[in-house]
Amino acid sequence: MYSHAWQTSSILSYVGEKMIPGETLHYLVMAVTALISVVATYMAITEKDLLKAVIFSALQSGMYAILYFLLLAPDILLVYIPVAVGLIPGVLIVLISKTERWEKE
Amino acid sequence: MLEFVIIGGIIAYTIGIALLSVIAVKGPTIGDQVLAIDTITYFTLVIFSLLAILLKQSLLTVTLIPLALWVYALDVYVSKYLISGDLGA
Amino acid sequence: MLDGATVLRVIGSALVCLGAFAAVVSAIGFHRFKNFYLRLHASTVGTIWGTVYALVGTALISLTIEEFGATKWFIFGNIIVTAILVFLLGSAGSHTLARGVHKARVARVQPCVADKLDPELCG
Repeated sequence: MYSHAWQTSSILSYVGEKMIPGETLHYLVMAVTALISVVATYMAITEKDLLKAVIFSALQSGMYAILYFLLLAPDILLVYIPVAVGLIPGVLIVLISKTERWEKE
Repeated sequence: MLEFVIIGGIIAYTIGIALLSVIAVKGPTIGDQVLAIDTITYFTLVIFSLLAILLKQSLLTVTLIPLALWVYALDVYVSKYLISGDLGA
Repeated sequence: MLDGATVLRVIGSALVCLGAFAAVVSAIGFHRFKNFYLRLHASTVGTIWGTVYALVGTALISLTIEEFGATKWFIFGNIIVTAILVFLLGSAGSHTLARGVHKARVARVQPCVADKLDPELCG
Protein backbone atom coordinates (compact mmCIF):
# COMPACT_ATOMS: atom_id res chain seq x y z
CA MET A 1 0.00 0.00 0.00
CA TYR A 2 2.90 2.30 0.74
CA SER A 3 4.60 2.38 -2.66
CA HIS A 4 1.32 2.02 -4.51
CA ALA A 5 -0.01 5.19 -2.92
CA TRP A 6 3.07 7.12 -3.99
CA GLN A 7 3.20 5.66 -7.50
CA THR A 8 -0.37 6.47 -8.47
CA SER A 9 0.40 10.14 -8.01
CA SER A 10 3.54 10.32 -10.11
CA ILE A 11 2.43 13.14 -12.36
CA LEU A 12 5.98 14.35 -12.70
CA SER A 13 6.61 11.41 -15.02
CA TYR A 14 5.20 13.42 -17.88
CA VAL A 15 7.92 16.06 -17.57
CA GLY A 16 10.33 15.61 -20.44
CA GLU A 17 11.22 12.21 -21.81
CA LYS A 18 12.39 10.33 -18.75
CA MET A 19 10.20 9.18 -15.91
CA ILE A 20 10.69 11.05 -12.63
CA PRO A 21 9.07 8.86 -10.01
CA GLY A 22 6.60 10.31 -7.55
CA GLU A 23 8.81 9.40 -4.64
CA THR A 24 11.14 12.29 -5.42
CA LEU A 25 8.91 14.81 -3.65
CA HIS A 26 8.58 12.32 -0.79
CA TYR A 27 12.34 12.03 -0.31
CA LEU A 28 12.86 15.78 -0.68
CA VAL A 29 10.46 16.67 2.15
CA MET A 30 11.84 13.84 4.30
CA ALA A 31 15.41 15.05 3.76
CA VAL A 32 14.62 18.66 4.70
CA THR A 33 12.81 17.71 7.90
CA ALA A 34 15.44 15.16 8.93
CA LEU A 35 18.20 17.76 8.57
CA ILE A 36 16.27 20.27 10.67
CA SER A 37 15.67 17.66 13.37
CA VAL A 38 19.37 16.78 13.57
CA VAL A 39 20.30 20.46 14.00
CA ALA A 40 17.60 20.90 16.66
CA THR A 41 18.83 17.85 18.59
CA TYR A 42 22.40 19.15 18.64
CA MET A 43 21.25 22.56 19.86
CA ALA A 44 19.11 20.95 22.58
CA ILE A 45 22.05 19.04 24.00
CA THR A 46 24.60 21.87 24.08
CA GLU A 47 22.34 24.58 25.48
CA LYS A 48 22.86 26.01 28.95
CA ASP A 49 19.46 27.67 29.33
CA LEU A 50 17.17 24.75 30.07
CA LEU A 51 13.96 26.45 28.91
CA LYS A 52 15.46 26.89 25.44
CA ALA A 53 16.46 23.22 25.50
CA VAL A 54 12.81 22.26 26.09
CA ILE A 55 11.79 24.38 23.11
CA PHE A 56 14.41 22.74 20.89
CA SER A 57 13.10 19.36 21.98
CA ALA A 58 9.57 20.38 20.98
CA LEU A 59 10.87 21.51 17.56
CA GLN A 60 12.60 18.17 17.05
CA SER A 61 9.39 16.35 17.97
CA GLY A 62 7.47 18.37 15.41
CA MET A 63 9.91 17.32 12.71
CA TYR A 64 9.53 13.68 13.76
CA ALA A 65 5.76 14.04 13.50
CA ILE A 66 6.21 15.02 9.83
CA LEU A 67 8.42 11.99 9.26
CA TYR A 68 5.87 9.63 10.81
CA PHE A 69 3.18 11.07 8.58
CA LEU A 70 5.26 10.63 5.44
CA LEU A 71 5.71 6.96 6.32
CA LEU A 72 1.89 6.63 6.32
CA ALA A 73 1.45 5.68 10.00
CA PRO A 74 -1.44 7.71 11.44
CA ASP A 75 -1.87 5.61 14.58
CA ILE A 76 1.73 6.13 15.71
CA LEU A 77 1.38 9.83 14.91
CA LEU A 78 -1.77 10.16 17.02
CA VAL A 79 0.09 8.79 20.05
CA TYR A 80 3.34 10.64 19.38
CA ILE A 81 1.84 14.13 19.17
CA PRO A 82 0.34 14.43 22.69
CA VAL A 83 3.37 12.82 24.29
CA ALA A 84 6.14 14.71 22.55
CA VAL A 85 4.59 18.13 21.86
CA GLY A 86 2.26 18.47 24.83
CA LEU A 87 3.10 16.35 27.85
CA ILE A 88 6.91 16.10 27.73
CA PRO A 89 7.43 19.91 27.57
CA GLY A 90 4.82 20.31 30.31
CA VAL A 91 6.51 17.85 32.65
CA LEU A 92 9.97 19.27 31.86
CA ILE A 93 8.79 22.83 32.60
CA VAL A 94 7.44 21.69 35.99
CA LEU A 95 10.84 20.08 36.58
CA ILE A 96 12.89 23.17 35.76
CA SER A 97 10.60 25.35 37.82
CA LYS A 98 11.37 23.27 40.87
CA THR A 99 15.11 22.77 40.46
CA GLU A 100 17.24 25.14 38.38
CA ARG A 101 16.94 26.99 35.11
CA TRP A 102 20.58 27.64 34.22
CA GLU A 103 22.78 24.59 33.96
CA LYS A 104 26.07 25.04 35.73
CA GLU A 105 29.37 23.54 34.67
CA MET B 1 -4.12 20.47 -13.39
CA LEU B 2 -5.13 19.79 -9.81
CA GLU B 3 -1.91 17.96 -8.97
CA PHE B 4 0.21 20.95 -9.98
CA VAL B 5 -1.63 23.18 -7.53
CA ILE B 6 -1.25 20.68 -4.71
CA ILE B 7 2.44 19.99 -5.33
CA GLY B 8 3.15 23.73 -5.67
CA GLY B 9 1.41 24.30 -2.36
CA ILE B 10 3.45 21.59 -0.64
CA ILE B 11 6.72 23.08 -1.93
CA ALA B 12 5.71 26.61 -0.84
CA TYR B 13 4.80 25.49 2.68
CA THR B 14 8.06 23.53 2.96
CA ILE B 15 10.00 26.68 2.04
CA GLY B 16 8.04 28.49 4.77
CA ILE B 17 8.96 25.83 7.33
CA ALA B 18 12.64 25.93 6.38
CA LEU B 19 12.78 29.75 6.66
CA LEU B 20 10.95 29.78 9.98
CA SER B 21 13.14 27.14 11.59
CA VAL B 22 16.12 29.51 11.33
CA ILE B 23 14.29 31.82 13.78
CA ALA B 24 13.35 28.85 15.96
CA VAL B 25 17.00 27.86 16.33
CA LYS B 26 18.64 31.28 16.45
CA GLY B 27 16.02 33.73 17.76
CA PRO B 28 17.12 36.33 20.27
CA THR B 29 14.44 35.69 22.87
CA ILE B 30 12.42 32.71 24.03
CA GLY B 31 9.17 34.30 22.82
CA ASP B 32 10.38 34.42 19.21
CA GLN B 33 11.21 30.74 19.31
CA VAL B 34 7.85 29.63 20.69
CA LEU B 35 6.03 31.82 18.16
CA ALA B 36 8.05 30.28 15.32
CA ILE B 37 7.26 26.75 16.50
CA ASP B 38 3.58 27.69 16.69
CA THR B 39 3.58 28.84 13.06
CA ILE B 40 5.68 25.85 11.92
CA THR B 41 3.05 23.53 13.41
CA TYR B 42 0.21 25.26 11.58
CA PHE B 43 2.06 25.01 8.26
CA THR B 44 2.70 21.32 8.96
CA LEU B 45 -1.03 20.88 9.39
CA VAL B 46 -1.72 22.22 5.90
CA ILE B 47 1.00 20.00 4.37
CA PHE B 48 -0.64 16.98 6.02
CA SER B 49 -4.05 17.79 4.61
CA LEU B 50 -2.69 18.36 1.08
CA LEU B 51 -0.77 15.09 1.21
CA ALA B 52 -3.87 13.20 2.38
CA ILE B 53 -5.65 14.27 -0.79
CA LEU B 54 -2.66 13.56 -3.02
CA LEU B 55 -2.15 10.01 -1.73
CA LYS B 56 -5.88 9.19 -1.74
CA GLN B 57 -5.91 7.95 1.87
CA SER B 58 -8.83 9.23 3.87
CA LEU B 59 -7.68 8.10 7.32
CA LEU B 60 -4.79 10.55 7.42
CA THR B 61 -7.08 13.49 8.18
CA VAL B 62 -7.77 12.42 11.76
CA THR B 63 -4.26 13.46 12.75
CA LEU B 64 -4.91 17.15 12.15
CA ILE B 65 -7.00 17.95 15.21
CA PRO B 66 -4.54 16.86 17.98
CA LEU B 67 -1.75 18.92 16.40
CA ALA B 68 -3.81 22.10 16.62
CA LEU B 69 -4.88 21.43 20.20
CA TRP B 70 -1.54 20.47 21.70
CA VAL B 71 0.41 23.39 20.27
CA TYR B 72 -2.08 25.68 22.01
CA ALA B 73 -1.36 23.79 25.23
CA LEU B 74 2.38 24.39 24.74
CA ASP B 75 1.72 28.13 24.44
CA VAL B 76 -0.24 28.10 27.71
CA TYR B 77 2.52 26.15 29.54
CA VAL B 78 5.29 28.54 28.48
CA SER B 79 3.21 31.62 29.29
CA LYS B 80 2.28 30.31 32.75
CA TYR B 81 5.91 29.54 33.52
CA LEU B 82 7.06 33.01 32.45
CA ILE B 83 4.43 34.84 34.51
CA SER B 84 4.41 33.07 37.82
CA GLY B 85 7.57 30.97 37.84
CA ASP B 86 5.88 27.68 38.52
CA LEU B 87 3.27 25.61 36.82
CA GLY B 88 1.09 24.78 39.75
CA ALA B 89 1.94 21.09 40.19
CA MET C 1 -17.97 24.17 -18.59
CA LEU C 2 -19.99 25.58 -15.70
CA ASP C 3 -20.17 22.29 -13.91
CA GLY C 4 -20.61 22.14 -10.16
CA ALA C 5 -17.39 20.18 -9.74
CA THR C 6 -15.38 22.59 -11.88
CA VAL C 7 -16.57 25.66 -9.96
CA LEU C 8 -15.68 24.06 -6.62
CA ARG C 9 -12.31 23.00 -7.96
CA VAL C 10 -11.44 26.50 -9.21
CA ILE C 11 -12.47 28.16 -5.94
CA GLY C 12 -10.53 25.59 -3.90
CA SER C 13 -7.40 25.94 -6.01
CA ALA C 14 -7.54 29.74 -5.75
CA LEU C 15 -7.77 29.55 -1.95
CA VAL C 16 -4.84 27.10 -1.75
CA CYS C 17 -2.68 29.35 -3.95
CA LEU C 18 -3.56 32.34 -1.75
CA GLY C 19 -2.56 30.35 1.32
CA ALA C 20 0.74 29.28 -0.17
CA PHE C 21 1.62 32.87 -1.10
CA ALA C 22 0.71 34.06 2.41
CA ALA C 23 2.92 31.36 3.96
CA VAL C 24 6.02 32.57 2.09
CA VAL C 25 5.20 36.21 2.93
CA SER C 26 4.80 35.33 6.61
CA ALA C 27 8.09 33.43 6.77
CA ILE C 28 9.98 36.31 5.15
CA GLY C 29 8.26 38.75 7.50
CA PHE C 30 9.65 36.96 10.55
CA HIS C 31 13.15 37.85 9.40
CA ARG C 32 12.42 41.46 8.50
CA PHE C 33 10.69 42.56 11.70
CA LYS C 34 12.90 43.77 14.47
CA ASN C 35 11.36 42.76 17.81
CA PHE C 36 8.97 40.21 19.25
CA TYR C 37 5.87 42.40 19.32
CA LEU C 38 6.08 43.14 15.59
CA ARG C 39 6.54 39.47 14.74
CA LEU C 40 3.06 38.78 16.12
CA HIS C 41 1.71 40.42 12.97
CA ALA C 42 3.67 38.03 10.74
CA SER C 43 2.52 35.04 12.78
CA THR C 44 -1.13 36.03 12.50
CA VAL C 45 -0.82 36.37 8.72
CA GLY C 46 0.59 32.85 8.61
CA THR C 47 -2.13 31.46 10.84
CA ILE C 48 -5.24 32.99 9.30
CA TRP C 49 -4.41 33.63 5.63
CA GLY C 50 -1.98 30.74 5.42
CA THR C 51 -3.83 28.03 7.32
CA VAL C 52 -7.55 28.72 7.66
CA TYR C 53 -8.16 29.76 4.06
CA ALA C 54 -5.99 26.94 2.69
CA LEU C 55 -7.83 24.36 4.78
CA VAL C 56 -11.22 25.59 3.54
CA GLY C 57 -9.90 25.41 -0.02
CA THR C 58 -8.66 21.87 0.52
CA ALA C 59 -12.03 20.81 1.87
CA LEU C 60 -13.77 22.19 -1.22
CA ILE C 61 -11.30 20.37 -3.49
CA SER C 62 -11.90 17.09 -1.72
CA LEU C 63 -15.62 17.25 -2.45
CA THR C 64 -15.03 16.95 -6.19
CA ILE C 65 -12.80 13.90 -6.35
CA GLU C 66 -14.92 10.89 -7.27
CA GLU C 67 -12.37 8.20 -6.39
CA PHE C 68 -12.99 8.71 -2.68
CA GLY C 69 -16.57 7.53 -2.98
CA ALA C 70 -18.63 8.15 0.12
CA THR C 71 -15.66 9.00 2.35
CA LYS C 72 -15.30 12.42 0.74
CA TRP C 73 -17.82 13.70 3.29
CA PHE C 74 -15.65 12.33 6.09
CA ILE C 75 -12.61 14.20 4.81
CA PHE C 76 -14.65 17.36 4.27
CA GLY C 77 -15.99 17.29 7.83
CA ASN C 78 -12.59 16.65 9.41
CA ILE C 79 -10.91 19.51 7.58
CA ILE C 80 -13.74 21.99 8.29
CA VAL C 81 -13.62 21.17 12.02
CA THR C 82 -9.85 21.63 11.99
CA ALA C 83 -10.22 25.00 10.24
CA ILE C 84 -12.69 26.23 12.88
CA LEU C 85 -10.39 25.03 15.68
CA VAL C 86 -7.34 26.75 14.19
CA PHE C 87 -9.34 29.94 13.69
CA LEU C 88 -10.28 30.03 17.38
CA LEU C 89 -7.14 28.65 19.01
CA GLY C 90 -4.48 30.38 16.93
CA SER C 91 -5.36 33.87 18.05
CA ALA C 92 -5.91 32.81 21.67
CA GLY C 93 -2.53 31.09 21.86
CA SER C 94 -0.49 33.98 20.49
CA HIS C 95 -2.37 36.42 22.75
CA THR C 96 -1.48 34.30 25.80
CA LEU C 97 2.15 34.16 24.74
CA ALA C 98 2.33 37.94 24.23
CA ARG C 99 0.82 38.59 27.69
CA GLY C 100 3.33 36.22 29.30
CA VAL C 101 6.33 37.75 27.54
CA HIS C 102 5.30 41.32 28.35
CA LYS C 103 4.63 40.64 32.03
CA ALA C 104 7.90 38.79 32.52
CA ARG C 105 9.86 41.51 30.68
CA VAL C 106 11.61 38.98 28.45
CA ALA C 107 11.50 41.05 25.25
CA ARG C 108 12.16 44.79 25.07
CA VAL C 109 10.32 47.18 22.79
CA GLN C 110 13.33 48.32 20.85
CA PRO C 111 12.33 51.31 18.62
CA CYS C 112 9.95 52.66 21.23
CA VAL C 113 8.02 55.91 21.66
CA ALA C 114 5.89 55.19 24.75
CA ASP C 115 4.75 52.14 26.70
CA LYS C 116 2.00 53.05 29.12
CA LEU C 117 1.50 49.56 30.55
CA ASP C 118 5.05 49.32 31.86
CA PRO C 119 7.21 52.41 31.40
CA GLU C 120 10.41 50.58 32.30
CA LEU C 121 10.32 48.48 29.15
CA CYS C 122 10.55 51.44 26.81
CA GLY C 123 14.09 52.45 25.81
